[in-house]
Amino acid sequence: MSSRALPRLLQTPAVVLLLIWMLVPLGMTLFFSFIRYVLASLNRPEWTSPSFSNWRGFGNYGFVLDSKDFWLAVNNSLFIVGSILFLTVALGVMIAVLINKAFPGQGIVRVLLISPFFIMPAVNAVLWINMILDPVLGLNGLAVGGINSVIVDLKDAPLIGWFFSLWPQLEPISFRSSQNSAYAVIMMVTWQWTPFAVLIFMTSLQSEDEQQKEAAILDGASLWSQFRFLTLPHLGRPMAIVVMIQAIFHLSLYAEIEIVSRGNGNKNLPYLIGEFANNNIGAASATGIFAVILANIVAIFLLRAVGKTLME
Amino acid sequence: MAIVAQNSKFGTFGRPILAWAVALLFFFPIFWLVFTSFKTDADAVNPEFLFFFTPTLENYANMTENYDYWHFATNSIVTSVLATAVALVVGIPAAYAMAFNPSRHTKDILMWMLSTKMLPAAAVLYPMTFLAKGLGIYDTHFVIILVLTLVNLPIVIWMLFTYFKEIPKDIIEAAQMDGISTWGEIKEILIPLAWGGIAATALLTFIFCWNEAYWTVRLTTTEASTLSALIEGNRAPEGLFFGRLSAVSAAAVGPIVVLGWFCQKQLVRGLSFGAVK
Repeated sequence: MSSRALPRLLQTPAVVLLLIWMLVPLGMTLFFSFIRYVLASLNRPEWTSPSFSNWRGFGNYGFVLDSKDFWLAVNNSLFIVGSILFLTVALGVMIAVLINKAFPGQGIVRVLLISPFFIMPAVNAVLWINMILDPVLGLNGLAVGGINSVIVDLKDAPLIGWFFSLWPQLEPISFRSSQNSAYAVIMMVTWQWTPFAVLIFMTSLQSEDEQQKEAAILDGASLWSQFRFLTLPHLGRPMAIVVMIQAIFHLSLYAEIEIVSRGNGNKNLPYLIGEFANNNIGAASATGIFAVILANIVAIFLLRAVGKTLME
Repeated sequence: MAIVAQNSKFGTFGRPILAWAVALLFFFPIFWLVFTSFKTDADAVNPEFLFFFTPTLENYANMTENYDYWHFATNSIVTSVLATAVALVVGIPAAYAMAFNPSRHTKDILMWMLSTKMLPAAAVLYPMTFLAKGLGIYDTHFVIILVLTLVNLPIVIWMLFTYFKEIPKDIIEAAQMDGISTWGEIKEILIPLAWGGIAATALLTFIFCWNEAYWTVRLTTTEASTLSALIEGNRAPEGLFFGRLSAVSAAAVGPIVVLGWFCQKQLVRGLSFGAVK
């Protein structure tokens, strides 16, 4: 037993580091969430340093819960994460099944497909919102402009001109405007993470039982029922993992939100915390605790579902 | 049998065509970024030169002048390399202990480590800024390396754990019979045998560090800022600088995308915590 003592001690540095990383900042956030604490205040300078004498109890929590932005941010967080999860899993399964069989250039297709996953989030957002989605200068604007000029030309055409003169001028959608920026974020993150789902599903499909499949074909099972009763159940575990990993990453989406709209009409919880933290640390901390609670609800749920399979 | 025939017809023509179309669609934004980077800023927003233009390298040549690219690139390299190294130095002994000398609590510790990844970074944004400024390490390489190490440590340990578990226990036990020291065990047996796995872990951790975009922006101003902070700082040029912005963006992601191509397989294992191989 004693010969095992040293080897076991070797995990201590990692455990201690992660314990400090988890407890110290989180403990501070918890403390700040119960006091009045702002970065600048002309009238109440005593609030500008953290102290127990500024105790506010659950006041910050009440303040946050009453703010319209908070519920907007919670809804938006869930909407964005939920949409991305649905789209990446659905697209991921379809593409993985599509490219799983050998065909000319399969290797290159794989390389092309996985590339978006390695793009840093800041570049992803800058690229999409400017070069692609900009309503005037991006491909979005240029495409709509191109369609419009074709329509204008066709209006002067003989015979069919009267038909096209009924058409309105198309307006490009602006994704920087408040309501649409969430869709832009969903689009760019789905683009980045679908390859990840494809990669995981493909790897998993390679271990699918071929004999079972051949037997099903001989029994005259349709393509759909092969997919529905063999492939889909086989992908259950990888799907759970894809959902878990993405939930971890997307609940803390930040760069994309910042770059697309600077939070205009499209805040999620991390962004709201950042905004509060410009001055009202108490409110930022209370929001932070809510974000932790939300993440924990998701985490407990997911770890329950996935945890066991991870340890096998 | 009709289904099989139908299936093979799709397999000969439909599948490759559809697969290539999907792949090109997904790759298109990256292609467009690189394509735009060879246009002047004026050409980049001129519809006349949408597809046909005189390519130029001026955006790349002026990258240092326009954006101080190498300052940020150096910071990215330094912080990513060192954070990866520290995470491995801390992670290898930990994963070794858990793979070869598990206790009753090993599973719980591993799950707990994973759960620290679920802590939303934003929740501890202010305390981290407060601590970094209080300790005088705000906007230094040190704080970025520290945070990148901690953020990636759980994944590093999980990945290494799954590789180490594949090493036959007999080899380790035989060495123990010969009276090898713990250090010797790690150095002489574990590291040589798991070399491929360790390299894959390192590569993947490096990519994650390079792309990290929350702490590198929030804990720096200019001195220690990395490439992701640089790009985020130039987020919305409203069409003025599409050419030069594309060039600096392409230069920021190029090396990583190429590295990524080489570690696709390991990516699966790393991000699925060994559950999908």
